[in-house]
Amino acid sequence: MASLDAFFAPRTVAVVGASRDPAKIGHLVTKYLLESEARVYPVNPSAREILGRPCYPALESIPGEVDLAVLAVPAPATVEMVRECVKKGVRAIIAQASGFGETGEAGRRLETEIRDILSSVPGDRRPRLLGPNTLGVYVPRNRLDTTFTVRERSPRPGPGDIAFISQSGATAVCIMEAAASMGVGLSAFAGIGNKLDVDENELLDYFAADPHTRAIAFYLENFRDGRGFLERCRRITPRKPVVVLKAGRSASGMRAAALHTGSLAGSDRVVEGALRQVGAFRAYDEEELVDLARVLGQGRPLAGRRVAVLTTAGGLGVILTDLLESRDRGVGLELAPISEEGKARLRSALVPFASVHNPIDLTANSSNQHYADALRVLEEEEDVDAILCVMQFQSPYVDEALADLIIDRFHHGPKPMVVVTIGGELSWRGLRRLGEARVPVYPSLWRAVRATAALYQRGCYLARCTGVTAQGTAAAQLRPRAWEGGSCHV
Amino acid sequence: MCDPREMIRSGLPLAEHQAKDLLASYGVNVPPRVVLSPEGTGVSEVPFPYPVALKVSHADILHKTEMGGVRLGIPDRAGLEAAVADMRSRFPGKSLLVEAQQPPGVEAIVGLIYDATFGPSLMVGLGGVLTELYEDVAFRVAPISEEDARDMLSQLRAHRLFEGFRGIRASRDALVSVLLGVSRLAQELGEHIEQMDLNPVIVYADRAVVVDAKIRPRQPS
Repeated sequence: MASLDAFFAPRTVAVVGASRDPAKIGHLVTKYLLESEARVYPVNPSAREILGRPCYPALESIPGEVDLAVLAVPAPATVEMVRECVKKGVRAIIAQASGFGETGEAGRRLETEIRDILSSVPGDRRPRLLGPNTLGVYVPRNRLDTTFTVRERSPRPGPGDIAFISQSGATAVCIMEAAASMGVGLSAFAGIGNKLDVDENELLDYFAADPHTRAIAFYLENFRDGRGFLERCRRITPRKPVVVLKAGRSASGMRAAALHTGSLAGSDRVVEGALRQVGAFRAYDEEELVDLARVLGQGRPLAGRRVAVLTTAGGLGVILTDLLESRDRGVGLELAPISEEGKARLRSALVPFASVHNPIDLTANSSNQHYADALRVLEEEEDVDAILCVMQFQSPYVDEALADLIIDRFHHGPKPMVVVTIGGELSWRGLRRLGEARVPVYPSLWRAVRATAALYQRGCYLARCTGVTAQGTAAAQLRPRAWEGGSCHV
Repeated sequence: MCDPREMIRSGLPLAEHQAKDLLASYGVNVPPRVVLSPEGTGVSEVPFPYPVALKVSHADILHKTEMGGVRLGIPDRAGLEAAVADMRSRFPGKSLLVEAQQPPGVEAIVGLIYDATFGPSLMVGLGGVLTELYEDVAFRVAPISEEDARDMLSQLRAHRLFEGFRGIRASRDALVSVLLGVSRLAQELGEHIEQMDLNPVIVYADRAVVVDAKIRPRQPS
């Protein structure tokens, strides 16, 4: 079993500190793990049976190998249990307890003890450790879930494309829940906590090689090895997009400011430049992190800056035009010109009062068929680099099959597409449906425009990697499948 | 010890003329200059045309303008002699730097900093007095490629200054070349430099010249 696989696809999992008390973390962890594909061994010296499974008094009494041990015990006991894991030959350890380095000197000493225990083991037999101070992992596709928030209160995302690595557990829970509510799925979540052993760099490598992951999203408060992170990004971003929400922007920049460069640097402007240098995207809040990760993982990079807007509400088209084209309150893209032939085709397909100029307005009398016809025309327009599609359900001639139509054109049409829907429950149903079908869709015009701009930036970056100019590249050459596995050096 | 590289490696601060020697050795343009030692008396003829600038050049004096340690636009030899006499009386025991006065142009700042997370990192931005006003700067981790240097400039709000804006002729290539020189310097000495400001770097149609240079070494641990 390759190094970190024991964390994400273990065959056997021991829960140390498993409990019969539904209010205990050790209970929830056991309960959720029992739904996974792994074989689960509850460990607790004072119970014979937990949730219908025989309980083992100690790790060493478990018959057979243990790939992963989840330590759901307090900090001081965690140290002892790490020792037991070593004896048992456990491959991977998730140390969930808080009360380590994050709390002060006494906690730091406990971390040092753990580090000493691990480093005394020869490399090939040394267990890897995630945490301490972590929720652990969540892998939707095999239902491996060590995060211990109550599911009824905190629904988890389904299977998806995004690997999410977070330095804060509670923050990650909120972000995952918000993603789940939009139908956005994950390939995996990993909480790195205090990064005693496994850190963001190793997980970046791991998910770069993971075939289920198409974008890697980070919430980080510091970098274990900043240069190492950048070197990895440089290698990985030509194949797989990386998005980083790096928090702690203002406080950490305390340095001698005798010179301009120092006072201007803070630490934050350097982070911004460094990430841009290696083709990683920077997000500034939790919403942008998921918004960018999904569009970059699922969408196709733009080969140029000309966007066609398809709407059923004229005003939304006007606002989108402003957001797309404005440089100070927008993203500085352009509206694509529609050819005379394209306009003629639109005119004959749409209602007489529809606008066939970009933004193309199907009007409130639009039907599923109008959407289908207009999309077909735009797909064949040479000067259109992307389609920004407003999906609205208010018209009496539109029904929920519109969502399927848009899903089909997103996945099978020739042009990059981003979708936006503004409204109430029907909109949200459509939004979740598209989300689950891995189509980037947003409940706000600005977020959709920002996502479109991210695909444009990605296109420019990839063009730089391959030495082709963004303008001069056919969209087809930039389709995601084409560069997966291909080599591209910056 | 007077090799500026060795001084930096030992954590010793550089006077401006030493910083400029160092930059010149990485192919970065600095003005023609002569150094007047503290022991000297009068002024011999300078090997470049007037007007000239006169500056006190000493590692302890970081903000020399504020201390009256800079005289610009000295038109002739008589003026220079008077200025030197005045400067010597006010800054006894300090070296003086006479430089060919650089004509006005587009002012940029180029910086280098040892970042706690990423190590030696470069900065470029709008220079002169506008640096603090607009904070229009971009950073990259050293070393940088030519592509990185161009991308840094394109990231500035003022990027059009280097793209022929309103007929202003300020060579983007020349500024890129300064950045690449500083990047080479950072590769060799970046571990030993806490901060470096080149401000202003005056950018003309065909060249960019570092008019002022300040370097603070990192203290060896």
